[in-house]
Amino acid sequence: MTAFLKAEKLHKSFGGVRAVHDVSVEVQEGSIFALIGPNGAGKSTLLNLLSGVHQPASGSLVFNQKNLIGLRAYQRARLGIARTFQKIRLFKQLTLLENVLAGFHIHQDVPLWKCFLPSSSTRFRADALELLAFVGLDSRANDRAGALSYGQQRMLEIARALATRPRLFMLDEPAAGLNAAEVEFLLKRLQNINRRNVTVLVVEHNMDLVMNVAQRVLVMDHGVRIFEGTPREVQANPRVIEAYLGGEFAA
Amino acid sequence: MTDLLALVVQQSVNGIYLGCLYVMVALGLTLIYGVLNQINFAHADFVTVGAFSAFFTVTRFATKVLGIPDTGAYLLSLFSALGAGALLGWIVSAAVFAPLRRRGADELRPLIATIGVSVLLENGQLALFGPIPYQFDSPLARETIRLGPIFFSGQSALVVAVSVAAIAALYAFMRFTFMGKALRAVAQDRETAGLMGINENLVIALTIVIASALAGVAGAMLGPVVVLTPFTGASLIVKAFAIVIIGGFGNMEGTIIAGLLVGIIEAFTVQYLGSGLIDLVVFAMLLLMLVVRPTGLIAEHKEENV
Amino acid sequence: MTGVFTGKRGIAFLLALIVIAAAPWLLNSAYWRGILVLCAMNVLLALSLNLVLGYTGQLNLGQSAFFGIGAYVSTILIKTYGWNFWLAALAAVAAAGLVGLALAAFAARLRGHYLAIASLGFAVITYQVLVNWESVTQGVRGIYGILPPVPNAVALFYLVAGIGLLVYFLLDNLVHSPVGDTLRAIREDEVSAAALGVNGAVWKAFAFGLGAAIAGLAGCFYPGFVGTLVPDAFGIVESFTMMAMVIVGGMGTMIGPVIGAVVLTFLPELLRGFGELRLMIYGVALTLVVLFMPGGMVQAWIAFKNKLA
Repeated sequence: MTAFLKAEKLHKSFGGVRAVHDVSVEVQEGSIFALIGPNGAGKSTLLNLLSGVHQPASGSLVFNQKNLIGLRAYQRARLGIARTFQKIRLFKQLTLLENVLAGFHIHQDVPLWKCFLPSSSTRFRADALELLAFVGLDSRANDRAGALSYGQQRMLEIARALATRPRLFMLDEPAAGLNAAEVEFLLKRLQNINRRNVTVLVVEHNMDLVMNVAQRVLVMDHGVRIFEGTPREVQANPRVIEAYLGGEFAA
Repeated sequence: MTDLLALVVQQSVNGIYLGCLYVMVALGLTLIYGVLNQINFAHADFVTVGAFSAFFTVTRFATKVLGIPDTGAYLLSLFSALGAGALLGWIVSAAVFAPLRRRGADELRPLIATIGVSVLLENGQLALFGPIPYQFDSPLARETIRLGPIFFSGQSALVVAVSVAAIAALYAFMRFTFMGKALRAVAQDRETAGLMGINENLVIALTIVIASALAGVAGAMLGPVVVLTPFTGASLIVKAFAIVIIGGFGNMEGTIIAGLLVGIIEAFTVQYLGSGLIDLVVFAMLLLMLVVRPTGLIAEHKEENV
Repeated sequence: MTGVFTGKRGIAFLLALIVIAAAPWLLNSAYWRGILVLCAMNVLLALSLNLVLGYTGQLNLGQSAFFGIGAYVSTILIKTYGWNFWLAALAAVAAAGLVGLALAAFAARLRGHYLAIASLGFAVITYQVLVNWESVTQGVRGIYGILPPVPNAVALFYLVAGIGLLVYFLLDNLVHSPVGDTLRAIREDEVSAAALGVNGAVWKAFAFGLGAAIAGLAGCFYPGFVGTLVPDAFGIVESFTMMAMVIVGGMGTMIGPVIGAVVLTFLPELLRGFGELRLMIYGVALTLVVLFMPGGMVQAWIAFKNKLA
């Protein structure tokens, strides 16, 4: 079975620093895949290469039989890849509802000339509210996004990304800054999303999340792969333990 | 053959003279950007203010009130321009930049605020001085110094001397004084500098004052060379930006090189193109620069990692 | 499709029509009628800049160049080639729009202050072209004896204001459509907008081109209004004035630029008693608004209404 997402020998450097070096990874459809590693390991860079924020210097990248090399971020989004960001990138001045509605634009097909005529666009409103309910924010649909707490903003970002109805959903440290209850909620939501046949790739530091949710884990350090396996295998691997220096590695 | 060589050297000398003027204008701009990450659209208007204060010092104050002869008056006017620039910089920093920093404004608002200040300064000077160009003659322009086949005026010698002195002083300040090092620290990483006990607000205010003082002096030296109206700033500002972009925002060495480069190019082409088309050439270079290497000739290419 | 003139918007349009119809008769001197025409043009310009700056978040400081392109292309076509006004205007609008698209294509990768400076550089280059291409534009000597498309100031005001109302209507629909949402997403955060499938480059080009076309349209009426055409009216100062109108009124809203244009056209006239100092109103208003009330007069109004509630 060919992998849903297949990256081979990706390279990326920034001004002499090798952020990602010779990294290959395969993600199976319908799985939950975690990407972990100490700070500066290159995880976010790898995610950026996969989502199209950066183009790799070399290597190949195929998603659902389509070659992604050369495609820009918005083109990959249209192929069904959605993502959230490490540093929250919401439309802060817009309302929660408007943020999620923005995610539905990928499905809009109103011709340009019609947009100059009066109309009331209610088309995706119900769907947007449903997504907000999914992340527990429907009561605040008309509040400004900037007014939410950090944890709520993270969930809003997820709701907005889901609006694009992705096949592959990539999250960059979604649990960062969340308290235990919020992490638990996030965990349940990710499992729920996965059950609806969305492949999930999550970059994470939070081991609780990774161990409980991921089916396969790739460990990176200093821009290279150091190990890949099930959560159990990763936990036991000496190279991985060494890389983390016993840090947040509470089994 | 020596004629051509002499011509080339002569134009280079003129170019260096012009270049020093441009460097003085652009240096303040790049300083402010380095420390604040902000573009001061009003910067060239500070130059105009400097020019006008120098003009009035020479024509009204020094000669009529103090009775100092021409050259002394002009030199005095350099100081008054410096003071005027510094004062103006301090006012704008306290009234505009500092409040915006306190409110945590984004990138757009401070920029627009400086546009507001620019419009304010231009119209204010228009109200005070009127739209008709002022004739600002420097007494040193009449003095000619001759080095072999090369001629240059006392004015250009002064400009180069003042510029070199100013740049040297700035360098010494940045490298050897505490304040100077604090400035570099704040330019590199404001938060950490603050955590280390550096008073960022003081440093930023000081930087703006220094930058504006430089602009003021530049104005005093530019006055005799340009058409002096309240809107002189508007015609200078884009050239100043061109220099800062070519040299790299916040990069002092780059700005100096770029300023000299623009000055030399202008000196060589003004004979054949006329000053209007010069602007066109410089700005076309600017646009080319922005497309090819927006971070400047010298700076490294920074990619944004999200 | 809901009715065109229903509800609050319908009332607003009706009110606007009444004000426009009555204005030249309430201010019935030749001087004030001239100010009214100027005001109508400024409204068009402010609306055009607001599309690019307020809705798409692009710091375009070169809008005056499109104003100038519209003015010069239409005037040259009429005077040198004998074209009919409306055909010339169409060509001028198209020309301005195309140049707007070109600027956008060029500036596609530039962010924040780089774009601001590039657009400023573009404005200066355009100005220099107008000044130096004397065989075509007459340079600083100017083009004389330009006639407006309609015989008197009142008719001209109705024409420009009517066009302004139409443009407002179309833009208002646009910003409430999916296109408007797309533009706002680009303004708020282009990177995550791309992750949602938005092709930033194309939509920025669209905003630039449309904004340029509208500014060019305003430019078509300017030479006839003034009688002579010189490049000086289309420089950096003009761009800054337009920006002041958009921001003082309320950037990113539809009514804001209209308010800003009206206020900043009439206020200097009302302050004539203060001599040349009245022009400082632009700088003062802009700086104060940016410092204390970034949402402009619209924000002030909303805050005022909330205080009453």
